[in-house]
Amino acid sequence: MTQKYTRREFIKLSGLTAAAAAVLTGCGPASRYVVRRPYTDMPEYQQTGLSTYFATTCRECPAGCGLIVRTHEGRAIKVEGNPAHPVNRGKVCSRGLTAVQGLYNPDRITGPLQNGSEISWDQAVAQVSEALKADPQGVAFFLGLAPDHLFDLVSELTAALGAPPPVRYGAYGMFDARRTLTEAAKLTFGVPSMPFFDLGESDFILSFGANFLETWVSPLAYARGLSQMRRGKNNARGRLVVIEPRQSVTSGTADLWLAPAPGTEALVAAALANLVAARLGLSLPDDLASVDPKEAAAAAGIAFEKLQEVAAGFASARAPLALPGGSALAHANGLAAARAVLVLNALVKNLGRPGGVFLTPADPAASSFADVQDLVARMNAGKIHTLFIHGVNPVFELPAALGFAAALKKVPQVVSFASFPDETAALSTLVLPDHTLLESWGYQRTLAGADREAYSAAQPVVVPLHNTRAAADVLLSAARQLPTLAAALPYADEVEFLQARLLPLLESRKGFYDAPEILTFWSQWLQYGGWWPQRAGLEAPIVAELYAAAAPLTPPAPLASGELHFYTYPTQLGDGSGANRPWLQETPDPMTTVMWNSWVEIHPETAAKLGIHDDDVVKIVSASGEIEAVAYLYPAIRPDTVAVPFGQGHSALGRYAEGRGANPAALLPLSVNESGDLSFGDTRVSVQPTGQRRPLSRMENRHGVYDHAE
Amino acid sequence: MAAEVKPYQRVYKQSEAEEEDPRQHLMLDPRPREEMNHMVMEAMTTTSRRYWIIVGALAVAVAVLLFGAWGNMIFTGMGMAGIRRPVFWGVFIVTFVFWIGISHAGTFVSAILRVFKAEFRRPFTRAAELMTTFGLAAGALYPLIHLGRVWVFYWMIPYPNSRWLWPNFRSALVWDFLAITTYLLSSTIYLYLPLIPDVAMARDRSTGWRHTLYKLLALGFRGTEAEWTRIRKAINIFAFAIIPVMFSVHTIVSWDFASTKVVGWQSTIFGPYFIIGAILSGVSAVITILFVLRYTLKNMDYFIREEHFDALGLLVLIFSMAWAYFFYNEYLLHWYGGGTVLKQLLTLHASGPSAWVWYLMLACNVAVPWLTLWNKKLRRTPWAIFIVSILINVGMYAERYTIIPLTLGHQRFPFDWGEYTPRLTEISIALGTLCLFVLLYLLASRLIPLIPVWEVQEGQESHRLRKVGKTQVPSVSELE
Amino acid sequence: MAEVTEEKMKWGMAIDLDVCTGCNACVTACAMENNIPFTGEDESGYGRGLHWIRIQRYWHGDYPEIKPDYSPMLCQQCGNAPCEPVCPVFAAVHSEEEQINLQVYNRCIGTRYCANNCPYLSRVFNWFDYEIPEPMAYYLNPSVTVRRRGVMEKCTFCVQRIHAGQEQAKAEGRPVQDGDIVPACAQACPTDAIIFGDLSDPQSRVSQMARSQRSFRQLEELGTEPRVIYLKGGGQYGG
Repeated sequence: MTQKYTRREFIKLSGLTAAAAAVLTGCGPASRYVVRRPYTDMPEYQQTGLSTYFATTCRECPAGCGLIVRTHEGRAIKVEGNPAHPVNRGKVCSRGLTAVQGLYNPDRITGPLQNGSEISWDQAVAQVSEALKADPQGVAFFLGLAPDHLFDLVSELTAALGAPPPVRYGAYGMFDARRTLTEAAKLTFGVPSMPFFDLGESDFILSFGANFLETWVSPLAYARGLSQMRRGKNNARGRLVVIEPRQSVTSGTADLWLAPAPGTEALVAAALANLVAARLGLSLPDDLASVDPKEAAAAAGIAFEKLQEVAAGFASARAPLALPGGSALAHANGLAAARAVLVLNALVKNLGRPGGVFLTPADPAASSFADVQDLVARMNAGKIHTLFIHGVNPVFELPAALGFAAALKKVPQVVSFASFPDETAALSTLVLPDHTLLESWGYQRTLAGADREAYSAAQPVVVPLHNTRAAADVLLSAARQLPTLAAALPYADEVEFLQARLLPLLESRKGFYDAPEILTFWSQWLQYGGWWPQRAGLEAPIVAELYAAAAPLTPPAPLASGELHFYTYPTQLGDGSGANRPWLQETPDPMTTVMWNSWVEIHPETAAKLGIHDDDVVKIVSASGEIEAVAYLYPAIRPDTVAVPFGQGHSALGRYAEGRGANPAALLPLSVNESGDLSFGDTRVSVQPTGQRRPLSRMENRHGVYDHAE
Repeated sequence: MAAEVKPYQRVYKQSEAEEEDPRQHLMLDPRPREEMNHMVMEAMTTTSRRYWIIVGALAVAVAVLLFGAWGNMIFTGMGMAGIRRPVFWGVFIVTFVFWIGISHAGTFVSAILRVFKAEFRRPFTRAAELMTTFGLAAGALYPLIHLGRVWVFYWMIPYPNSRWLWPNFRSALVWDFLAITTYLLSSTIYLYLPLIPDVAMARDRSTGWRHTLYKLLALGFRGTEAEWTRIRKAINIFAFAIIPVMFSVHTIVSWDFASTKVVGWQSTIFGPYFIIGAILSGVSAVITILFVLRYTLKNMDYFIREEHFDALGLLVLIFSMAWAYFFYNEYLLHWYGGGTVLKQLLTLHASGPSAWVWYLMLACNVAVPWLTLWNKKLRRTPWAIFIVSILINVGMYAERYTIIPLTLGHQRFPFDWGEYTPRLTEISIALGTLCLFVLLYLLASRLIPLIPVWEVQEGQESHRLRKVGKTQVPSVSELE
Repeated sequence: MAEVTEEKMKWGMAIDLDVCTGCNACVTACAMENNIPFTGEDESGYGRGLHWIRIQRYWHGDYPEIKPDYSPMLCQQCGNAPCEPVCPVFAAVHSEEEQINLQVYNRCIGTRYCANNCPYLSRVFNWFDYEIPEPMAYYLNPSVTVRRRGVMEKCTFCVQRIHAGQEQAKAEGRPVQDGDIVPACAQACPTDAIIFGDLSDPQSRVSQMARSQRSFRQLEELGTEPRVIYLKGGGQYGG
């Protein structure tokens, strides 16, 4: 049902608020349950006509930014950043801003469903409990990337049950090649940690494909870092150099952009390490030293003088810093690339120094693509009788070649906790919709963008809109029906579980607030939106064995004729879950200004050779599959590379997402690098015009922007 | 060596004098008064089946194309038209300027030619004045049509209200609104004044509802000396007074554009440029209408003759040259005086995706008249000059199209340049107003005498052929 | 409670293009704060999106030395605004109080003359009544009116926030301080490229930025006296 709002109706609507919904949270120890209160009996903080603000945590991506949500008479109005939060310091990105369009999305799943028909929550819990009773080896959990309370609960549950630990993976992990990065950290520093890079204090940032202004690890924290770096101390403006095959927002902002052939990033990093080491009079391990910088530059298609210039800048900077980004690591030689980049940091001795590299608190690393492949293999082998899926949409996010959708059919019971009717929910036998982020409790550990150990708090800001239930509560209710589990998970509900997990924080007395007992702690936790120490401080990495040998660096095989490198990257739609937010769709892509669709970035020269014009529909064929999308003549990409943004091409997820654009996951291969991360950067494709034309919706004008660049 | 000087000898060619029959001039081809009155009455009262079919079809077209499409647009939104950011004005304003331009010729032909005593004007002043009134009626709809919220259009009118809110007199749109209202009012009076003797004539020769109508309109005009003096005086005063109004209207329309910050609009020459353009399109439209009248209305071949097409053709040629002068002047100053943006704009006019409009404008407004209208034979061939007159109006439409949407689309930020494509609704409304114009004209042609018969008779009174030697020479005597 | 004298403030904004990354967070933030409807693929592609702020992206140079040049474009709140005199019904008016250009939606009759005359093209028009399906309309901001078809709209410098900040300060019996009032775009801006404040206070952050050697105003030559100050980017320092 749709409705047009005239101004008059709008005033009526906002004045009456017929549902009289208010949320009782935020203050005091009683703030445990979310209840509806009549309009005549509002809680004392709720004043008619005044807004109430709640602190919570964003879950649109795994960065875990702190939010302050403005609510007005029981409705979530506007998402703002939490100024005190160590990750985002009051800032918020487009994805977070449109969280209310998720909460109030007209296409949400409104209640538990079994094979498409409505059931009651009691029936649903009974089904889950039934599933947990069966062979524990056949129970699998596939969770989203965020290290949140649900992951902790599920880990406890699987441990108690004797089931395999949950798989934690998603498109963000794939694009950031997080496992490769933690592996490289383990190889270099001895700790499998997601490093924190102190951009703000640095004055020379060298990024290898880290699109830290868009999605990489913790974009708001790193964007703030860039801002500080640019503004500089004593007006000494820092420099940013980005090395990646296609210009992104990050490399667009950079002072220098170098475009290596995809797959040669490792060579470039090694070459730079050689040049820097030569300048600083240091020696390198054999495998890196064996790389000839000139040959590497030639293989990458970068002028050697440029590399020298970068090396000189890097070696002579006050606080240089090198970032290993996902697109550089998602190759067969990705681990070598990550290690070479970390070695670059070690060479300039910025480890643990302001403007350098730090280690975030250790955390069970996220799963790798290989782990997911293993899960799919078990599914295909019929070894799994129940699969729980939460916070991830594998049918959409994972390479189509993996055959996740087909594997789902081999699993008798697929339980999806999706709030939205996504592709995976459509193939699930049981859909038990979780609350959206603005309706739910929780916390997130390990905030990779924070300069200190921090936990971020999540609380409901409005009463749940639909007949949804927290996944944690569903699992706890189901577990309570099983005597074995009831003892291992002695929590009455989600909030009790959260409080139990927060107790160690209270006892550590390291936070910036103190409390005598958990309920006082809890109220402050909710009020401030989390827990963190007063002062910044992270562990400094120690280079145990910097010069540990690795596999020799090999350049990628040359392109066959008619073949092009394929590059894909997440946009503001994130892992694709943002595609159902109309304002995320209508916010133009920063580089192309395209709205509401997918496009193929082709260098104008390449397009001319292939006979492709702007707005032509082209077919892209890889060894794994093919897609059709509209060509965008993009002047800032290597002529031997084409790029398609990730996030569109949904076949489900509601009216705003469906039937729009193409999903590049169809093209991705299944090859993995040494760390088990998908080496999607090695995809090669051919591009053919289809003869059709379909103008893209763009903010920019269709003529003249190239010619009139002044 | 002495130069050989030949004395000048005028060679008199017998054939020249004989070739031109003086009776081909309406003024020198008098008919008895009563016969002429009868001819006009007959033209007015004869209606055929075909006439009613056309009237019916036009009425339906107006209802559907104009009011249907407009109503639909009011209820759904301006988005039905093709306008967009940055081209916020499109076909509506183009057609508005077009109609206001058309409406200029009536006054021009009638008032200026009357003031300057151009005798060839006599049979078609009424046709031209009607064009003014109906052109304005069609054009004046557009300030309403193009409003996003037409239901509150009266906020543009200065009327006393409890909030003490007045329109913004600094806005050219308010000037526009006032100027058009003034022009509509004064041109209607100016149409009506010379009509009085004619409706009085019709009153005396009709019965039934026509008699009642003409009796009402004639205001008791009996044709006494005093009445004639007064009406002549009134017409004379209005003829002089309406000329500045006419100039002001199109100047103010041009100020809608010239007084803004839009690149390509800011130009001091826009006032006269618009007036010349308006007269060019208006005089051409008079030719178009005279052609149609001559071939559809009874007895018209007597009143509307080749000499009239000839004279109007010459006028068109002159105004086409004047238009070209202004165009060139404006273009040159913009090219040399304007900045980068203006240069880009002019380049895009001539080479952008819609450059054909610009070339169409130049071809129709300059090439066509210059290449054809110097030829007397062509000027005297009604169908040929009819085609030329239509082409000129096409060219003038293209001129306004270039000035409005094609200029708005390419302003200071290349990032925001935009191509505008007219959509069905606005094309339908534009055609609808054309139908409205033709419909009003058709109805009027059967309601009021389209030929100012008293003016023709007055002219014929004053023209005589006098014998000088062997030839007959036309002579005019001043009657007033 | 101390009596607070109300002083007229001259609100202004500074945008540092050196740290602006073109990420478009301001665009989304503005839409979410100001109840801006979304128009869909075809309409937004036809120049009918209702973005009050947009990022102009130009390309500089040729591959491989190519670089985008971002310029966030919004209503410049001109001191001498071209949109104001052309409105026949005073719907585009200058506010004495906030020193900004207001658009009075109730008074607007939709001539779109102001939009033609805005050299910054920062005005957008409600071509239709835009549908917001149930229950998405719940998030509409009660402090900002929704607009119906046929009226112009544009950036207001989040005038509702200016008023809220002034009222808050008044209630606390203190003058409005620098940083109290932040429009939605500046609040969201991940790199703090957008700074908002009082230009009549020489100590405010925005005034300090306005005095920077890098500062310039868009289309300054038109004499519109914009209240939005840009700071040159790309590492260009000095005059």
